[in-house]
Amino acid sequence: MIRYLSYVLALLAGAALSFEGAIYGELGKHIGELETSFYNFFMGSIIVGLLWIFFGKGNISYVVKAPKWTMLGGVLGVVYLTSIVVSVPFVGIGMTMAAIIIGQMIMSMVIEHFGWLGSMKSKINKEKIFALIAMVISLILIN
Amino acid sequence: MIILMILFTLLGGITLSAQSSINGAFGRNAGTLETTLLTFITGTMFLAVFILFFGQGNLSALFEAPKWQLSAAFLGTMYLLLTVIAVPRIGVIATSIAGIIGQLVIGMFIDNFGWFNSLVLPLDWKRMTAILFMFIALYFVYKGNKRSSHETEMKTT
Repeated sequence: MIRYLSYVLALLAGAALSFEGAIYGELGKHIGELETSFYNFFMGSIIVGLLWIFFGKGNISYVVKAPKWTMLGGVLGVVYLTSIVVSVPFVGIGMTMAAIIIGQMIMSMVIEHFGWLGSMKSKINKEKIFALIAMVISLILIN
Repeated sequence: MIILMILFTLLGGITLSAQSSINGAFGRNAGTLETTLLTFITGTMFLAVFILFFGQGNLSALFEAPKWQLSAAFLGTMYLLLTVIAVPRIGVIATSIAGIIGQLVIGMFIDNFGWFNSLVLPLDWKRMTAILFMFIALYFVYKGNKRSSHETEMKTT
């Protein structure tokens, strides 16, 4: 049950990202792209900070003990946003999204296949390759 | 130049999946809200330095921007929170693909209705077929994931 729910949550996460992208596109015209990213992270810190104060049950002091590379999550998010901002004017939004999605899918499989970056090891198999092919077909259809 | 840009964008996608797995691993030890908070705070700090050096926009225009545009921050937060919840349960690849599908399907709806001043691109048969293929992909990921986690369990027991 929790499994199915997690798939639904991941779908919702993507849906949120789409709305966010469309709205930030408008905001970016007024205040600039980097500034929009900054606003996103800054407000995000405040929102989650508040949530954490009220509902945080985890162990924030783990931050000091954790290996330093696990702190890179936020930086990587910045690389992602910047790569979009830089390449859209050159290759267009369609090509940009397709390249990002393909990079993300292939890398996810490789990461899990080897169990890198603390992920649970999960071998690449026939079904996953089929899934990748189906996604490439739908990207071609959209563009 | 174009090829270089496409490679650069591929790198963008790669960092996104790396972020998901790093955050998933961190979340198992520190908790979901804690991980999301850390990601936002470090991201804010890096962008602050970036803007000081390269910022060309006008940050103070933020106060004049319409509130509906500012509300997108809640969506950004939701995305990260949900990803951190999903990765430890269904893995990086399933979270990525399900996330991408949600993104593309809603993207097509936004295009179809021309919401948020976007270009109006109707939901034609090609795009409908694309949605069909995406759900086929989701089915295969679910299947593939189930099989490989089954195989790992067999080995460990």
